[in-house]
Amino acid sequence: MKRFDIVTLESPNRAPLRIEGFLFGEENLQGPSVAIVGAMSGDHINQLYVASGLVEYLRIKEEEGKIIGRILVIPAVNAYALNMGEKNWPLDKTDLNMMFPGYAQGETTQRIASRLFETLKGYDYGIILEGRRDQGMCLPYVKLIQSGYEDLECTKDLGLGFVHYRPHDPVETAMLQYNWQLWETKAFSIVFGKNGAIDKNVSNEVHTSIVRFLSKREMLNIPVFEGRKSNIVDPNRITLLKASRAGIFISKVQCGAHIQRGEVLGKIIDALSGEKLEKIVSPCEGIVTCQYAHPLIFQNSIVFRIASVELCSHIEAKKN
Amino acid sequence: MGDIEEVLTIELPVGENFRIQRSRYEPLKGKSKKRISVVSGIHGDELEGQYVCFLLGQWLREHPEAIRGTIDIYPAINSLGIDSITRSVPFYDVDLNRTFPGSKNDFLPAQIADGVVNLMRGSDFAIDIHSSNVFLREIPQVRIAKSQEDVLVPLANLLNIDFVWVHDAVTVLESTFAHTMNTIGTKTLVVEMGVGMRLGKAYGHQLLDGLLNLMAHEGILDIEPLKVRFPIQSQVGEVAYLNAACPGLFVPLIDHCQIIEKGSVVGHIVSALSGEVLNEVIAPIAGILFTIRAYPIVYEGSLVGRIFGEKQ
Repeated sequence: MKRFDIVTLESPNRAPLRIEGFLFGEENLQGPSVAIVGAMSGDHINQLYVASGLVEYLRIKEEEGKIIGRILVIPAVNAYALNMGEKNWPLDKTDLNMMFPGYAQGETTQRIASRLFETLKGYDYGIILEGRRDQGMCLPYVKLIQSGYEDLECTKDLGLGFVHYRPHDPVETAMLQYNWQLWETKAFSIVFGKNGAIDKNVSNEVHTSIVRFLSKREMLNIPVFEGRKSNIVDPNRITLLKASRAGIFISKVQCGAHIQRGEVLGKIIDALSGEKLEKIVSPCEGIVTCQYAHPLIFQNSIVFRIASVELCSHIEAKKN
Repeated sequence: MGDIEEVLTIELPVGENFRIQRSRYEPLKGKSKKRISVVSGIHGDELEGQYVCFLLGQWLREHPEAIRGTIDIYPAINSLGIDSITRSVPFYDVDLNRTFPGSKNDFLPAQIADGVVNLMRGSDFAIDIHSSNVFLREIPQVRIAKSQEDVLVPLANLLNIDFVWVHDAVTVLESTFAHTMNTIGTKTLVVEMGVGMRLGKAYGHQLLDGLLNLMAHEGILDIEPLKVRFPIQSQVGEVAYLNAACPGLFVPLIDHCQIIEKGSVVGHIVSALSGEVLNEVIAPIAGILFTIRAYPIVYEGSLVGRIFGEKQ
């Protein structure tokens, strides 16, 4: 294992920012390669946990001689934010994952993104560990945006249940995944967990899926169990349940639950009077893929996202 | 006085509603011909627009007989942010001006964006007033994407600003309020002036005159057009960016809005710890220093100034 600084940046008063990389199989120049990027936001604690867990796992596998590709893990991009409970770059509050491909002569976060991106270019695969932008928590899923250079097939080797495959939003043109794809790396994101927290079960599932991917893509020489058959999901086909009222939100189900039409999934109560304001009932059968994760909920917030089995099959059939 | 309404409300969890308020002025008699929306506070730390809204409302209250169109004033779009010195949408920490056109089926910031677009849909004009941010001080200027240059530059020239900056289209800016409104047929100008979290009275009065002039030209106000300044046009020159070469404390040596020579020392970056001058910030071209850093702490790359000058 080679531990090295990818980016160092002096600060006026703090100790310098260091973005550290952990490289395994440095000598395997002919084999496939992957770079795995962890926490880009200060609230991506789950992502940090999975990435650092991978470093430890791969260190052991390297000692056993099992690394046959080249694997770079970057557990924390935005350590400055992580160390002070901020989400974004602490001085100007810019989101590092909105600065790609970066600009070497630009603003501070553009320069950080540029230097990081120089290191990330040229890898065959790119895995970005992401949290959600909203207050949700979710089953681990692959987010694959359509840039014209995306590779859907490789994401199936993770063995995760869902792949959200969709056109990109304008804001995503400044994100790492989009730009990495444009530079011909087969890049995708794994979105999981709840921001600011660690869910061990979910983290374990993501860890296992990445190990499976490394094995199937011939970067790690170990046998693995098969994962799930990935359902390719167009997000427009997911049923969104919204809160018609604001208040305290109490969920009755967990992400991953297979729920029936008419099933009560949660309730919203008045935060002051305690009166029950709304019962949230599922209009369809399906699997809860995401749910609102903060105890206080705003009116019109999306409370649950339900993937319908029938709709997922329908999309698969259309693609085939 | 204008008709004050809550035009968008969303329940907050504990005994409060998020709200956007609007003050609407209409002709005393006869039908309104055109509609203009004056918008501020999409970023909660930018307050110059609040003062312009006040000045405009004050003027309209004193001259109701001059009103020939519908004039909508929205002083605080991100009202949670304005009242709490928070640039982004609190709770979500998301830049509202990267969330347009928004959606009813997305998180709160996207719902606010969707609501804002629907409120202003059908306006002939929108003026979106920003104050840079807390880091940079700007002269009054309008920024226009190159694709909208033909339509918007003549309008911007009416606004009594100092500078019209036509820039290349950047895809990420498609998620702004201005882009969305221009796409749906509302001619929308983005004004940047002053500095975040502060109020510059002179700039407020300058832009008020510009707004009155624009409305006079468009028949929204029945008054004589005002004598306004003609802005510098970015197409005739180039913009040079001054980025900090090292971290430290930026100490400006030249006042904002000064004409400077190539090679002038714009400021020093100093070390508070060692007492050293770490770097001199040198003007790479001659021209007007139209942006200057207001917040002194800098990292490598922090923008400390911008100069507009002749093409080299």
